[in-house]
Amino acid sequence: MLKIENLHATVADREVLKGLTLDIKPGEVHAIMGPNGSGKSTLSYVLAGRDGYDITEGSINFMGQDIGEMEPEERAALGLFLAFQYPVEIPGVTTTTFLKTALNAVRKARGEKELDPASFLKLQKQKLTELGMDADMLKRGVNVGFSGGEKKRNEVLQLAMLQPKLAILDETDSGLDIDALKVVADGVNALRAPDRSFLIITHYQRLLDYIKPDVVHVLAKGKIQKTGGPELALELEQKGYADFYDEAA
Amino acid sequence: MAQAAVHSFKTETLQREEAMPWLAPAAVLGGDNAPAWIAALRETGAASFAATGLPTPAWEGWQYTNLRPLTPDVFTFDAAGDVAAQDLPAPLLKDSHRIVLVNGRLRPDLGTPLPDGVKLTPLMEISEPEEELATVGSLAQSPLLALNCAYMRDGFVLDIAPHRDITRPIEILFMTAGNSPAVYPRVLYRFGENSGATLLERHAGAGAALTNLYAGLVLKAAARGRYYRFIDENGDAVHVSRTVVRSHKSSDFQGFSSVSGVAAGRQEFGLELLDSGISSSIGGVYMLKGRQSHDFTILADHFEKDGTSVQHFKGVIDDQARAVFQGKIHVRRPAQKTDGYQSHHALLLSDQAEASAKPELEIYADDVKCSHGATAGMLDTDGLFYLQSRGIPVAEAKALLVHSFLSETLEKITRDDVRALYAARIAAWLNAPVEEAAA
Repeated sequence: MLKIENLHATVADREVLKGLTLDIKPGEVHAIMGPNGSGKSTLSYVLAGRDGYDITEGSINFMGQDIGEMEPEERAALGLFLAFQYPVEIPGVTTTTFLKTALNAVRKARGEKELDPASFLKLQKQKLTELGMDADMLKRGVNVGFSGGEKKRNEVLQLAMLQPKLAILDETDSGLDIDALKVVADGVNALRAPDRSFLIITHYQRLLDYIKPDVVHVLAKGKIQKTGGPELALELEQKGYADFYDEAA
Repeated sequence: MAQAAVHSFKTETLQREEAMPWLAPAAVLGGDNAPAWIAALRETGAASFAATGLPTPAWEGWQYTNLRPLTPDVFTFDAAGDVAAQDLPAPLLKDSHRIVLVNGRLRPDLGTPLPDGVKLTPLMEISEPEEELATVGSLAQSPLLALNCAYMRDGFVLDIAPHRDITRPIEILFMTAGNSPAVYPRVLYRFGENSGATLLERHAGAGAALTNLYAGLVLKAAARGRYYRFIDENGDAVHVSRTVVRSHKSSDFQGFSSVSGVAAGRQEFGLELLDSGISSSIGGVYMLKGRQSHDFTILADHFEKDGTSVQHFKGVIDDQARAVFQGKIHVRRPAQKTDGYQSHHALLLSDQAEASAKPELEIYADDVKCSHGATAGMLDTDGLFYLQSRGIPVAEAKALLVHSFLSETLEKITRDDVRALYAARIAAWLNAPVEEAAA
């Protein structure tokens, strides 16, 4: 599914990822935990193809293709999805328009037929109901005036609509209270499938109480420092990241 | 017409004698049994223009807009040209009334009957002009207005009877046709006391044309005027207009204009809030590319207390296009408790695109609230990446963001159907399907 080898990446000429290796198989849920500044968000942006995040060494292979040089939309068409830590507000474009444009763009890129308006609305309604979301948000500008919880739920709605192969959740738990966190986690759990993988990027162990990972990695100083099972997350919660600062220093 | 005057912008330095190519022989200007006031105004306008010529960048208010780059375009006054009824564009809105002018001439044969409470009087049938029609500003300071006077040929006064609410919109279609016509229409829209109507003023034409319009609006006490302008001309057209809105006690005016097609344009709006308790707002969007240029020059002038004026403009500029916004709020001493708001935001899509903004406040009353904001910036990279990460190709993502940026100006338009007309123009410029804007 996703194979990252010896990835080095720079942001504004500063090397942030320094030889990161990661292998995610279909259906697996991986968590990457790490202290602030360890390169977590950089990893998510590099994977999604954000402008200004440059790969200087190593490779990213996704669905059998080297995606390192691809545009963000090409990666999305291949089945990569990034749930943003800070979803962007787009006034004047309704959530429905946004979802329809995105879904049809991805379908078109995959050589599938675009959905007609009726089928689209039906699908949208179904996903909305499954996620227990208010239809009112569809008529509002994308993320405009949404609470933190609503923004994250909107990310999960997009995830549910686009049905990616790999979903990267970047600090999805930040700014959420426990109820909102549960709703978001339920939404994600409902999407778990044998051919769909997740990469959960988080500072805290809390989210992993609700979305059970198969594998937990510790990222510090731009590299995976340690890999283990769910118990590693609990250990980090108790001991903090101090060991890894020392180890990596 | 053999004696047709040929207009040329071909002027390197604008000296007095160069005003002359603009001015037709007296035989062209006269010879139509025009009422005495029109004949007099033509002479005054011609004399004034002969003295000033076109404005140069040294003129106050003309620092940013220069008419000289229009060199190759040549326009002919009173050029022959016609449009067959079946070639007129479809009405902007269903169930609307229509007034049609072709090359500045009223064409009752192409219009529709007007409803009770609405009266159309052709300019040439007016023997005793109202001040609002004849005295419209300083000709010495406005050479384009002087030309509009010199070439005054046709136009109308549209009266909305007092206490009448005209429910269906009235479309006023200004068509240009034929070989590069220059047209100088003069119109006056007059809303009687406590009346209400929606006017859709549309400028369209397939070829090169110069339109130099004077439009006056008068809102008597408690009148509600909606005035929506659509400049739908093509890339060879030049549009200059001066629009003066004279508002009386407790009246409510809302105006909006969109422009995308013209080679060059300048729209001047003067909002005169002559009495107390008036609300007057004007907004607009412009979408420019290639080497297009456009200028919105706005003055909101508060004479009396408790008035609210709004100027809200946005535009997008690509390639080497240039946009100008000059907005002023003038609050006179008696105009206490004035609320004046002005904003202009430009989105630059290329490194060579240019936006010039000149916001001005001139306030003589001491208890007022006035604000202005002006920005010029590039597309938001966060938004672009967000859309691309959802699979939306970069060109489409940019179009969505531009649409998002511009459509915010439409939110204040009270009629959904009119808002949709402007949204369609934004979408057409972006070459994108029409989508309903978020509330």
